[in-house]
Amino acid sequence: MNGCAECQAMSRRGFLGVLGAAAATPLLATQVGWAAPGYTGDVLVVLSFRGGFDGLSAVPPVGDPNYQTLRPSIAVPVNRTVPLDSMFGLNVALNGLKPLWDAGDLAVVTACGMSSPNRSHFSAMDEIERAAPGSGVRTGWLDRTLGSWNATGAFDGVQIGWGGMPMAFSGPFDELGFGRLDDFALSGAWNAAERDKWVGALTTLHDAAPTHVKGPALTTLGALTTAAALGSYTPAVPYPDSDLGRSLQEAAHIIKAGIGVRVVTIDEGDWDMHAGLGRPESGGWMFDKLRDVGDSIGAFFADLGSAAQGVTLVTLSEFGRRVEENDSGGVDHGWGNVMFVAGGNVNGGEVHGTWLGLNDQGMYDGDVKATTDYRAVLADILANRCDAGDDVLQSVFPGFTGAHLGVTNP
Amino acid sequence: MEHRTLARRTMLSAGALTAGLAIAPAQAQAARVRTVRKFVAVKYTYNAQTGVTRVTKHKVKQVTAKFVGKKVFEKRHGAWVRTPYLWDETKRALVYSRKLHLKLLGASGKRHVAPEPATPTPTPPGQTPSPPPQNPGDPTVVAVSPYSAANATHHVLNRVGYGVSPQGLRDVAEVGGARAWLRRQLQPDSIDDSSCDAYLQRLPDQADEIWQVEDDLRNDKREGWRQLMWVNTGMIVRASWSRRQLLASLEEFWANHFNVTVPSDGVAASRAHYQWTIRKHALGRFEDLLVAVSTHPAMLTYLNNRESDDEHPNENQGRELLELHTVGLEAGYTEEDVLNSARILTGLSVDGESEEFEYKPWRHWAGGVRVLGFSHSNATRAGGLEVFRAYAHYLATHPSTARRICSKLARRFVSDTPSAGYVDALVAVYQNTDGNVSALLEHVFGTDEFWSSAGGKTRRPFDAYIAALRRLGITPGDGIDGWEDITWITDGLGQSPFGAPYPTGWPDAPQAWTSPVWTLNRWNATLGLADSGSNVDQPDLLEYVFAGTLPATYGEAIDRIGLQLFGLQPAASHKQALLAFLGKSANSPANANSAIYGWRLPYVVALLLDSPYLLAR
Repeated sequence: MNGCAECQAMSRRGFLGVLGAAAATPLLATQVGWAAPGYTGDVLVVLSFRGGFDGLSAVPPVGDPNYQTLRPSIAVPVNRTVPLDSMFGLNVALNGLKPLWDAGDLAVVTACGMSSPNRSHFSAMDEIERAAPGSGVRTGWLDRTLGSWNATGAFDGVQIGWGGMPMAFSGPFDELGFGRLDDFALSGAWNAAERDKWVGALTTLHDAAPTHVKGPALTTLGALTTAAALGSYTPAVPYPDSDLGRSLQEAAHIIKAGIGVRVVTIDEGDWDMHAGLGRPESGGWMFDKLRDVGDSIGAFFADLGSAAQGVTLVTLSEFGRRVEENDSGGVDHGWGNVMFVAGGNVNGGEVHGTWLGLNDQGMYDGDVKATTDYRAVLADILANRCDAGDDVLQSVFPGFTGAHLGVTNP
Repeated sequence: MEHRTLARRTMLSAGALTAGLAIAPAQAQAARVRTVRKFVAVKYTYNAQTGVTRVTKHKVKQVTAKFVGKKVFEKRHGAWVRTPYLWDETKRALVYSRKLHLKLLGASGKRHVAPEPATPTPTPPGQTPSPPPQNPGDPTVVAVSPYSAANATHHVLNRVGYGVSPQGLRDVAEVGGARAWLRRQLQPDSIDDSSCDAYLQRLPDQADEIWQVEDDLRNDKREGWRQLMWVNTGMIVRASWSRRQLLASLEEFWANHFNVTVPSDGVAASRAHYQWTIRKHALGRFEDLLVAVSTHPAMLTYLNNRESDDEHPNENQGRELLELHTVGLEAGYTEEDVLNSARILTGLSVDGESEEFEYKPWRHWAGGVRVLGFSHSNATRAGGLEVFRAYAHYLATHPSTARRICSKLARRFVSDTPSAGYVDALVAVYQNTDGNVSALLEHVFGTDEFWSSAGGKTRRPFDAYIAALRRLGITPGDGIDGWEDITWITDGLGQSPFGAPYPTGWPDAPQAWTSPVWTLNRWNATLGLADSGSNVDQPDLLEYVFAGTLPATYGEAIDRIGLQLFGLQPAASHKQALLAFLGKSANSPANANSAIYGWRLPYVVALLLDSPYLLAR
């Protein structure tokens, strides 16, 4: 695969290969208790682009005089974009998102990122997922969110796909993870009868065990039974035949099944395009990946149908990429980036954030300056859509006092 | 085990029915007098329907016996008298047969002169002593879990090492018991570990000098991510197959206390050497270990001290040195202390070409420093290393450090909740021995709390998987593909040895390991082990568990599995659960064609390995 050595090491680390199910790292940390009687908020779907997503290719600032100059060979021409507003176009590869945009269900946030640049994969991902800069907090923001709900279901936080458990899930909460739902099964049980035998035997074998051993075993067995009962799924619309497509299809399946899912995370890697980003047409590295993203997210929401009223999807990446292209037809690690927010209650059909331009005001050291803290986007979603009060937000994003972005509706 | 099977088959095919006494067929009926071992039955059970005798407690005696075909005679009052014992090839001893005894009584009509073995009382499950019997010199072990045998051999292998294995059992027996084994473990150099050393040679050049590894990385002779992965693999090999089990446990313990995550940026060249450094000091003086890891390129890189300088001291290592490695937050240090700690460390750096340690005076912050009760004029830029050594001495001897280290060791080896008094006593040893880890452990091994808590702790995912591997008698096989598979598997279990993504390392507390996903992954991976799905070598499961004698009922088969794997028969409800799994009852007859001796065996074994019978340590 392409991309810098650091990125390669990361993706190997994330690859489980032999076992299909993954879980978050364990840490003992104090949880903020916030008892919600029954969760009525949105399902939050976090799609993480690993490797450094190039927002300038996804949502090119075609109205900016410097865009073509700084990216002579890889800038997206205007006629390969769908106009969003006077400054920005949407890469035509992302045409799958157009229906969402037109319906007002898709918002774009430009020039967002961490409060200061961090161009190292490991370090930036760690920081962005910890979301607690300058503090000793070592848990992930999603783990703190799940903890704040005092949720107890096995399916409350779910990671789907081959990316491995995100650091955002690090912490005391027990999230679930699997490559595919089918993987979340006892390998020794080839049918329902066998599964019942295993469940029965394991239940009894744990009968005299201490709580911290018995509890997880029984929870696991319960989750296995629930997963098995979900059966197969026929989506309302076809999804792209890709990892992302299948992961989002599984997400739709478990969300619609009503088993208590609150957070879904999916990783989509291979964005570290230091070289050979490609032309904005089929066969180009960036183009093909963006097309997969657009078609998959489009299918996801079409498949959700009315259930989309209770789902918000947000995209994240550890950093954007440099404005100026390099000598290899690619772009190196940068800072400010684009985030997408999609769902039934989004202030869609508009570009949010503060765009200062590809100039001295809007750039820092060759990168797009992040004028909006990514936490402003996430906090907005949590506050409006996920029933999070100020105290919860303070525990999820300690020390963050910035205004929320207003990208979703309460 | 394999060649015993071959030998037996040869015997049988040659027509000799003397089960391994190597008598040529022509002499099959000639008498042979030999001195052999006899397992005198002390306690036994007998199933009249199946005719199977089950000796649950025996004494070993050397006797002179005469063998005529299958019949065995011993001298009684000058005459050869038939005894109700039969030669067991696997045990290479005479073994009691009640069925034969009854037959002999019935046939002759006379009471046999050999003393009647003691009337068996049913032993409560969970307390049946396991072979090998308790060594006379060993303390009485108390099991606090119904899932654990009260057996000193099992206890030390489980609590101090990575679990019971055939090699482990041999090692304990060879040195004369659990206490003796512990004494030897405290002197790892006295243990011949050449076989494990030979295995480790397969991981290319992990033990090389840092500059050499760095050079190879730059010249593409090694791959960075693989170099890092093999650090975890090396630990897996040592945990699984080293005879220096305590040293392996301590290596893991210290490498987590002084965690440098695998993988992380910039340590591909130095991380393997870091493990070697830790092993070198694992049983020595804590201060020596502290200095060695704090000045190691891997730590200096991981915690950013290599970049730290007088203009912008990087506080990362200075802080973790206090918070995680030594005194802890409870010592009440301030942010000013952290800054000074960082200042002391400035200059401790790494040469960019070789990745070896280099003290860089031009980076050192000179001037008076104070951290808690430590102060130093730190007058010159050239003298920073000496200041650090004095500072390290202060920290290593600080009572808070002693308390934290002793608490951690007590939690790892004795109890999840060691009493304050227990830790106090350990702290006294720490202070009296200048922080000598070997002395601390020697003290621990002499305490009642250590011996009266068998099964009181819970295995974490990595511990459990390695314990299962050891319990099944799995050996390395060829090459390293199987080991690399295992390395990936441990990642999926939630605990690759050094994969904790934060400097805190993996937590010991069992409550941190409750994720249902790890539980599921562990169950699936364990079935993979039991079902010979692994890429390493394992003995035939049937052979391994039953050693050639297949009990005649399902109930007894399950008892035997429990005894072989865990040194105790499964409790009644658990046995019933396994029988239900198999769709059988305790008295269901079993023969060589039965599922329990065929395709169902790995499932039953896996279920038991999935259960608290394995998790309790």
